[in-house]
Amino acid sequence: MYVIKNGTVYTMKDDRPIKADILVNDEGKIEKIAPSIKADKAELIDASGKVVIPGFVDAHSHIGGVFEDELDDLNECTNPVTPEMDAYYGITPDDEQFKIAVKNGITTSCLIPGSGNVIGGWGIVLKSDKGTIDERLLKHPVCLKAATGINPKGVYSRAHQLPMTRMGIAFLLRDYFRKVREYKEKKEKAKKDPKKMPPYDLGLEHGIPVLEKKIPLKVHTYMHDMVTVVEIAKEFDINVTIDHAQGASDYYDVLKDRHVKGVIFGPISSGLFPGEGGKIDFECCKGLDDRGITVTVMTDGPVTPENLLVTEVGEAVRKGMDPVRALAMITRNSAKILMVDDRVGTLEKGKDADILIFDALPSLDVRANLLLTMINGKVVYRKDEV
Amino acid sequence: MLIRNGRIHDGKGKIFSADIRIKDGKIEKIAEKLKQNKNEEVIDAKGLEVFPGFIQTLSSWGINGSMTEIRPSSQDNDELSDPITPQLDVKYAFNGRAATVQQLGAFGLTTIGVTPTDNNLFGGTMAVFEVDGLNPFEMCLKDQVGMKASVRNSLKNAYGRRNVAPLSKMWIFEQFAEQLRKASEYKVEKGKDRDMKMEALQKVVKKKLPLFVSVDTKQDALHVLEILKPYKIKPVICNGFEIGKDDTWLVDKKIPLVVRSNSMTADKTAMKLDLKGIAALAEKGLTVALSGVDSSWQIREDVLWLGICMMRIMKDETKVLPMMTSNPAKLLSVDDLTGSIEEGKRADIVLWDQNPLESYQAKIMKTFMGGKVIYKEGDELRCM
Repeated sequence: MYVIKNGTVYTMKDDRPIKADILVNDEGKIEKIAPSIKADKAELIDASGKVVIPGFVDAHSHIGGVFEDELDDLNECTNPVTPEMDAYYGITPDDEQFKIAVKNGITTSCLIPGSGNVIGGWGIVLKSDKGTIDERLLKHPVCLKAATGINPKGVYSRAHQLPMTRMGIAFLLRDYFRKVREYKEKKEKAKKDPKKMPPYDLGLEHGIPVLEKKIPLKVHTYMHDMVTVVEIAKEFDINVTIDHAQGASDYYDVLKDRHVKGVIFGPISSGLFPGEGGKIDFECCKGLDDRGITVTVMTDGPVTPENLLVTEVGEAVRKGMDPVRALAMITRNSAKILMVDDRVGTLEKGKDADILIFDALPSLDVRANLLLTMINGKVVYRKDEV
Repeated sequence: MLIRNGRIHDGKGKIFSADIRIKDGKIEKIAEKLKQNKNEEVIDAKGLEVFPGFIQTLSSWGINGSMTEIRPSSQDNDELSDPITPQLDVKYAFNGRAATVQQLGAFGLTTIGVTPTDNNLFGGTMAVFEVDGLNPFEMCLKDQVGMKASVRNSLKNAYGRRNVAPLSKMWIFEQFAEQLRKASEYKVEKGKDRDMKMEALQKVVKKKLPLFVSVDTKQDALHVLEILKPYKIKPVICNGFEIGKDDTWLVDKKIPLVVRSNSMTADKTAMKLDLKGIAALAEKGLTVALSGVDSSWQIREDVLWLGICMMRIMKDETKVLPMMTSNPAKLLSVDDLTGSIEEGKRADIVLWDQNPLESYQAKIMKTFMGGKVIYKEGDELRCM
């Protein structure tokens, strides 16, 4: 049991800070947020003059699963369509990267297969604290990962194998969902007539929750590929998230479509490249937010290190986004896109006590330091001087 | 041109309010209350923060190759036919337009060190360029500013995978030592062709050309120092991802460190970048330059972001800004030209509306490169 006293609390339920105390119960949940909480039995954390915010949620990451020049456990690039894969089995839970995440305020990450395959498999949502995968699992599956553009093209062009083109990628995506639809229909018919039950197919099974809109198709998408993705989403009436999304400012109207559950922008910059890397528009964070489209940023960890997630938020601020709206991206918005907002993303009674204490507002002041990270009501990081 | 009433951050640790007169692309005069000359343009910088342009010490900006050309081809600073190519000069790899399209001025950069990659043991000589222009030779502030060496695992990846040496660090260090030894003994023999490799390396041995060595680990750096000892060469160590607060030998030996950002990498060694440890060494007197990555995948915010990360730790702009300006200029031997706001230096100046080392809301109002405006607020960012 902890009580966090006298902090400036950004619950992120709305955009205004309050002066309040937070009581964290032994179940690791937020018991109460109110001024002057009296709780004699609770351990006191003094947050006077400090900023208290929800733990960061990284909506697109591969930490614990992908390393350069090492065996990669999240890219099964032997076949461009591997929906039967599951990031659940590709993550090393005690990897160093999770400790770095904790030190940088990332308390929850969506961990997904890489973008080498057109359909890569299921993703999961995992807390960053210690423990096994199952102990830390927040949602499984959270999405089916897909990828368009140069990444799958690049992988299979080398092998002279479909898809070497965007035509091939669109075909494989559409063909997969055609098969899932037919498989699902057969299964439904088999409810009346068990003889009609199709042979069990794990890959197609993994697509059913997408067709049922229980989870979105999470698509690695740059520039004009997002138009293709939204068209396919409409065709099969499935939900999608647009991940990476460079060039989103060219397609605001397309992205307003109801099938788009969110845009997960970033990692926020690189140099310009010809083709799909030819536009880098971090101003789109504000542009999307202004238009009511749920937007967040990502690390794509370990591609961008965990300490830069908040810096990416800062770059959106530099492009005119309000610092608190920007902070909402990696808290409230990420949680909403991942459909784990019943547990994390805001500080509210009954939600997980995933709480950060900073010495200044981290989306505004570049010097802001994380002083304390709490996950499920346990203090998992303290900066030395606190 | 007169920039009036700005708050000047000189890049060497001083912050003061003054006017700046720019003439012929250079800072002619810095003083309180300069009088406007006849027909002189005046920029009112009241409330603005006047910074030197940032300098990226190591980069591949302006380099073309498979990522930017109409046919698959090598990156022009990555001569993978031979791990020992000290005779090559990166000046001939630089494409002005390829650098300009990146609009680096919009990210506060005005000067870039361009270098051969980390894939060769001795990659060739480095050069310093402006960030905006067309003609690479006009954009070149100075060439032959350093010899680029690398003892990183990247050599093993580049060659070892083809089953060509180096497959191991043994070869890398043995050849690092051997090539320098040969260069130290090299003489042109009558009737024999000159050895351009040895001539290039001899400049290093004779300390006429600074040596930049990219290393992965602290142990790599220690091996390099040991091998260089007989020649009394003080290298510039680049990367050194495991270097931390206890490595005061860098300070004692007065060896500068170029910090590569670990953004855009899934490299496990790079993940060990210990900025806190490096900050502690900087407090003890280590010369640090904050640089971006120089692979084909580069980030325009790298220098600024590393500065921001350093500010989180050091919280003292007078210590961090020199790592982004005057220290890189010194390591690249262009400190007589740029890297600080001082009389006689190039007018490589960025006007910010707030201090970028304090607030994310800081925006660039104008970037001057050699007195020329290369970016101003409201300019659309280019696409490719």
